[in-house]
Amino acid sequence: MRRKVLVGLACVFAGAQAIRFEHTNPPITGELAAPPAVQRALRHACYDCHSNETSWPWSANLAPISWLVHYDVTEGRRRLNFSSWDAYASDPGTQIQKLKNLQKAMAEDDMPPWYYRLLHPDSKLSESQHKVIVRWVAEQITGTQPSQ
Amino acid sequence: MSPKTRGMVSVFAILAALALGPIVRAEDETLPVVRFHDGRFEPDELVVKAKTPFRLRVVNATQDAIEFESFELNRERVVLPGAEIVVYLPALDPGSYKFFDDFHHGAGEGTITAR
Repeated sequence: MRRKVLVGLACVFAGAQAIRFEHTNPPITGELAAPPAVQRALRHACYDCHSNETSWPWSANLAPISWLVHYDVTEGRRRLNFSSWDAYASDPGTQIQKLKNLQKAMAEDDMPPWYYRLLHPDSKLSESQHKVIVRWVAEQITGTQPSQ
Repeated sequence: MSPKTRGMVSVFAILAALALGPIVRAEDETLPVVRFHDGRFEPDELVVKAKTPFRLRVVNATQDAIEFESFELNRERVVLPGAEIVVYLPALDPGSYKFFDDFHHGAGEGTITAR
């Protein structure tokens, strides 16, 4: 019985490998313009999911982890993509909203997600990196007028 | 520029802004509009001219805040209850672009079709 379960699980695992997703890094259309320290901090913790410069990990080829990685990158880019910031900037209200989302994520410390931090322990922002992003985002929000 | 001249220029600028304000407002009223009410956008399909930048008025006629969002158009804007916003959109290639209310996922979606 136990052997049958193991064989069954092995079959499911092997079958799961057939469902594959392409790993793409589309062209960068217009990157967020920020001071180097802010850029470094964002790249450090956010760019794998929120840019077109994803460093695809080896686990991105192994189902079912690959499915989660694919989902996170796809959803992350759809929600906030630092590589196409120019598109947000063409509507000042959207740019502010994206900055506010970033501000909220920083305040609640819910980014990167816990499972990402688990796999990438070095992705956690240091206190100084956290501060530099928070300060810069606040300045940007204050300095940008909404187009209501 | 003397202080007196500077003062006159400032007064003129304020008067001009006050005079032009209503004109800009009136211009906004001629923009294409989508209105959110009863859990859906109306119209749910808006046809615009392709390859031409445009502005879109989004009116929230409900008692709850909504979030006008489109992944395809890279737009995300909160619209307070009873308020309206103007969204700047770039020249679009011919095609259809979905938008939705990200605060109410069961709500109806809308489409902007560029022709």
